[in-house]
Amino acid sequence: MNPFSSKQVAVTRRVVHRRQWGAWLFGVVVLVLLGAIVNAGVKARVLDPVIFLDYVFSRNILIGAGNSIMLGTVALLLAVAVGLVVAIMRVSGNPILVSFAATYVYLFRGTPMLIQLIFWFNAFPIMFTDLHIAIPFTDIVLVNAPMTKVITPYVAALAGLSLAEGAYMSEIIRGGFLAVDSGQRDAARSLGMTGSAVMRKVVIPQAARIIVPATGNQYIMLLKSTSLASAIGYLELLRISTDIYAANFRVVELLAVAGFWYLVMTAVATVLQTTLEKLYPHR
Amino acid sequence: MSQTLNAIELVGLTKYRGTQAVLRDVSFTVPRGQVVAVLGPSGAGKSTLLRCINHLETIDGGKIFVEQQLIGYREEAGVLYELADRDISLQRRGIGMVFQNFNLFRHVTVLDNVMAGPIHVLKMPRNQAEALARGLLERVGLADKAGAYPNQLSGGQQQRVAIARALAMSPAVMLLDEPTSALDPELSQEVIAAIRRLADDGITLMIATHEMALARDFADRVLFMVDGELVEDAPGKQFFSAPRHERSKQFLSRLSAH
Repeated sequence: MNPFSSKQVAVTRRVVHRRQWGAWLFGVVVLVLLGAIVNAGVKARVLDPVIFLDYVFSRNILIGAGNSIMLGTVALLLAVAVGLVVAIMRVSGNPILVSFAATYVYLFRGTPMLIQLIFWFNAFPIMFTDLHIAIPFTDIVLVNAPMTKVITPYVAALAGLSLAEGAYMSEIIRGGFLAVDSGQRDAARSLGMTGSAVMRKVVIPQAARIIVPATGNQYIMLLKSTSLASAIGYLELLRISTDIYAANFRVVELLAVAGFWYLVMTAVATVLQTTLEKLYPHR
Repeated sequence: MSQTLNAIELVGLTKYRGTQAVLRDVSFTVPRGQVVAVLGPSGAGKSTLLRCINHLETIDGGKIFVEQQLIGYREEAGVLYELADRDISLQRRGIGMVFQNFNLFRHVTVLDNVMAGPIHVLKMPRNQAEALARGLLERVGLADKAGAYPNQLSGGQQQRVAIARALAMSPAVMLLDEPTSALDPELSQEVIAAIRRLADDGITLMIATHEMALARDFADRVLFMVDGELVEDAPGKQFFSAPRHERSKQFLSRLSAH
């Protein structure tokens, strides 16, 4: 007979882990306070749900949300292109390109986006009153228009957002480049790849694994930053909401409507980001 | 065979880093098919020497020929002008390189690593490149790892893939920069076996190494370097049995003390 089995130990029925009583107590306090605030809100009728639902799927609001998504998405694509060029300049080693890139990043990352948007919309057409593009040494004129006609709120918002965002993107892309160790480049070159092949086949695909998640974050930021374009009269989500409440004084409901759609946008962008990350796993 | 062609020829190679000379007037010729071990203490310039031969590093004086071709530069009226990126890339096709840290492309599979040269450089059709790559993986004993990613392999396996990747370009010359230094002794053995097969196949090899077994067992010749200078150039067996130079003797006695 097994000597150990004779020493009968009572069968354990369950295991009780220590509870974090302090955290639970605090959780209860939080719930009580939250309940008090919601109760106060309901009693004061801060938000009329009927009006909220009236507007949340209304035509103008949907157009505004669509404009915001378009503006943010196009601005991100331009920003990635700008950022890629600036990042390549920054790592080129050429002193002119390096200082140009560094100055660009400093100026466009160092000033508020709102100022940049207002600059492109209001100041730029004062500085350059006419846009005149012609093919040199010929009489062919491609564009000849007053700048105020060319710089619509959309163009100004797009320029402002993509150039400001381009500064952030260039730093993200540069970080991605730096994270690819020089041994990878050496190996690619030793196989006989040209400089551009090394970039396309080895450096960019590896850097992308670092750049993609950070870019997802920037996209979320940018979708929200499109609200800045309301200041220069572009009819995006916030501007349309404020225009409506300026007429009907339903400030709370319309801000809630706008907030709701921004949340939807960021949720979709987050799903997109997660999908991309899974597509390019980090190795 | 009477006069064999030289695979590698160095004439007065000199390189500076800042004001510090890292290679001083290094000259030697390597006939085709020879296996050359480059030995020397750390900082002797072994790696730099190899990296100059495929122009991963620029040079400050002298000339390097691989298969009679001046590497990295064209000469006009006694002046060396560095070649365009495209021309240097063409020259590198014939010079394989294996690195201390393997440097496999992390983002693609083992098979794609081996196919990288044929596909992206030689523009070989994919099915043809794949057949070539699978054959080479077979040769280094890793046919079953074709679909794995580099980070799923041991160091020894990674280095064997790196050898297969270099071989895929059918180089006339292979430069091996400390191929076993990042490996523990057991894993070194499998890499040494793979290198031995290269030697048996008659590929010209230059191996910078700390691994004495590698140098002693099958190097035809030893180049011993100290402070960027070629101090002793001797047949493999002679270098180990009867080193001539004082520094070589010191180096070998310190090794045998271990």
